[in-house]
Amino acid sequence: MEQRTVDGAVAKAFVYSGVALVASLLVSQGWLMGFIPPPSPALSPEALAAIFIERKMGIRLGTLIQCICYTFWLTWGMSITFYMRRMERGVPVLTYASIANIGGGYVFFLLMPITWAALAFRPEQIDPAMLQVLNDLVWFIFILSWPPFALFMIFIALAIFRDHNVPTVFPRWVAFFNLWCAVLIVPAGLIEFFKTGPFAYDGLISFWFIYIVFFGWILVMSAVTLRAIATDRKMNAVPSRAAPHLTGQASPT
Amino acid sequence: MSGAVRPDTTRAGFAGHVPGEAGIWLFIAGDMVLFSVLFAVFLTHRAEAPDLFGAGRAALDPRLGLVNTLLMLTSSWFVATGVAAARRRRPRIPAACFAAALACGAGFAGVKYLEYSAKFTAGLTPMTDDFFMFYFVYTGIHMIHVVIGMGVLYGLIAYLRGRDIAVVNLQHLETGASFWHLVDLLWIVLFALLYLVA
Amino acid sequence: MRSLFLSRLTAIWLLLALVTIGSWVVGHGPGLVDHRLAGVVALVIAMVKVRFVILDFMEIRHAPLWLRLAGEVWCAGLAIGLTTLFLIG
Repeated sequence: MEQRTVDGAVAKAFVYSGVALVASLLVSQGWLMGFIPPPSPALSPEALAAIFIERKMGIRLGTLIQCICYTFWLTWGMSITFYMRRMERGVPVLTYASIANIGGGYVFFLLMPITWAALAFRPEQIDPAMLQVLNDLVWFIFILSWPPFALFMIFIALAIFRDHNVPTVFPRWVAFFNLWCAVLIVPAGLIEFFKTGPFAYDGLISFWFIYIVFFGWILVMSAVTLRAIATDRKMNAVPSRAAPHLTGQASPT
Repeated sequence: MSGAVRPDTTRAGFAGHVPGEAGIWLFIAGDMVLFSVLFAVFLTHRAEAPDLFGAGRAALDPRLGLVNTLLMLTSSWFVATGVAAARRRRPRIPAACFAAALACGAGFAGVKYLEYSAKFTAGLTPMTDDFFMFYFVYTGIHMIHVVIGMGVLYGLIAYLRGRDIAVVNLQHLETGASFWHLVDLLWIVLFALLYLVA
Repeated sequence: MRSLFLSRLTAIWLLLALVTIGSWVVGHGPGLVDHRLAGVVALVIAMVKVRFVILDFMEIRHAPLWLRLAGEVWCAGLAIGLTTLFLIG
């Protein structure tokens, strides 16, 4: 049976790219742009335009950083998919689906900074009403695009539940954690209906809770994947052939 | 660990036993955190507009809330009894209990449908005011849990089909049952907040 | 069969159903005149019911200490938190 070893150094770099993504979010959206929390959707177009005019340099810098670091969604997502491949037997359906999903996911990520950058390009000349619609669009792209990300979480959970390795590549609690996150980001859909309150896109549930869950999920999955990489290295250090769990056979221990 | 061989016990569980898979407790704890936040947010907003929330509560049909609470409690009892029956190797009874719980869940969904449609007919929507925003969103999020829970119960019934109870992994049954009880207990608090307290 | 259904679980289910109807009467029937008291009673009754569901239906009563403690602390914390938020409102 073909060995499914993962290049630990590359995998590790991929994992840390996800950590960089989260860090870049705090630096760019939080510090440079001042959009954590977002400007209220109930703000008047003129007040919103004033924010963009005043912060245009911060927004330009921030979106540049985001364009670079949000691309890491692709590399980070793949670091998990390497290990999903090892969990699956036969045609790796969940792995294929995840690869397609991740490829689509980073488009959402990049559309955000690109749209913001366009708004900060000549904010003085844009009709405030149009600026408002496009700014809404950025938050809608980010928060309303929850379904494919929830699907990825469900794929991870399914792969762990069906993992044939002994011991499993990821601990089984990770599956339940992913299901929980998938359920938790469902209220994101509510931002369509409210301009104020906890379910508006600057609200306690639809912004704070969902952001913390989603980016917390990235950090937790990074830690779990790093542990799987470390386990690999220990297994490979053993001189006797490849570690049994790498070839998909049950471990004797 | 295999749950297939267990001492016969009429009591619910026994000393030092974690019901179900450990991971489900992470999920349950996580969901309890979310709902604790939701409950607190509701009461905080209620404090700002007690009259509006009082009027909203008065517009709800308390009888439907009561029926749904009793349906949830009964379904939970069926599920717990089903697990107890499986532990005593009673054939057929566990699946019948889960099916009865599933029927209670369907009844709950039916009552919710009646309730929602009556509200919409009366022109009450999530956009009406803060109370109805919370009412629809919270009961909606709970309804998602009910639907997932019904899928879990159906999964348990399918798992029991064609299997002798002696080889059934009781841990799987406990995992699914724990999720259904979570759906029940979240509704108990929601019922108190929306129908009794507001 | 009889021993299965004449169980502690059934007793708890009956108790919870009766308490539910009782708290409904407190909230809607003749009940208590004082709204604040009625609200607190309804919240506390709900949390007592939740505790029974956690301990007996979820079978946490005999679980390892960490799990039992987590359940109890959550129940008590939520009861205190919700009652406080209700009263200051």
